[in-house]
Amino acid sequence: MESTRLILPAAAESIAPFREFVRAGAVEAGIEPEELEKLDLVLEEILINVARYAYAPEKGLVEVRYLADGPGQLRVEIVDSGRVFNPLEADPPDLSRGLADRPIGGLGVFLVRSMVASIDYRREQDRNILSFTFPNHTLA
Amino acid sequence: MQIEPTQLEKAVLLKVSGRMDAENAHEFEEACQQWISQGVKHLIADLDGLQYVSSMGLRCFLSVAQKLQPASGSLILCGLHGLPRQVFEMTRLITLFPVFDTAEQALATL
Repeated sequence: MESTRLILPAAAESIAPFREFVRAGAVEAGIEPEELEKLDLVLEEILINVARYAYAPEKGLVEVRYLADGPGQLRVEIVDSGRVFNPLEADPPDLSRGLADRPIGGLGVFLVRSMVASIDYRREQDRNILSFTFPNHTLA
Repeated sequence: MQIEPTQLEKAVLLKVSGRMDAENAHEFEEACQQWISQGVKHLIADLDGLQYVSSMGLRCFLSVAQKLQPASGSLILCGLHGLPRQVFEMTRLITLFPVFDTAEQALATL
């Protein structure tokens, strides 16, 4: 199976071109148009984390590749060469807190987990590889 | 993202439309901060035209509401639908804000 890939700097400005790139894959895979904004969100949250936690204050590149993973399903991999960073190790946010003490942050990974069918992290040859399948068909 | 403010008697209405993402979410927080600095207690965010919001945007909504709370102010949300409503519900942030269908309904409570 051959995947399609795009490599750009890990920066906020790269989110839009990556979004268009992965959306093209989603359309090829036959994913419903109303799912695309959720895919945008998953991608944005992951890319922001790479820029912020795998690289900052340094800069680096990030590679996004995708593969149609059966009808209506897309597999996406996000690869960076930054320091070891597994976003899936983060503690889940406490969603029961009131306004005053509700912590700001931690929601990105929570949303990602909710919106994907599966997600895995691996470290290979000094690279972080986050791999997810989309969409989560059990999500209303 | 576009933010269109309207000053009303008891609140400032901010009509937010387009996509609120990691690149531009701070613009919403700055716009709110400007009104808070001027002593405005209630902000109504009309999100009918908002198509997309990511966690960076959620942070900004939360941060603005937290700034308004000590002065008995509030950030009121209305017109939430689509993906923005879904993320507010999934994160249960929706329970932390006064939420109305329309700005008129929100105004009637002030």
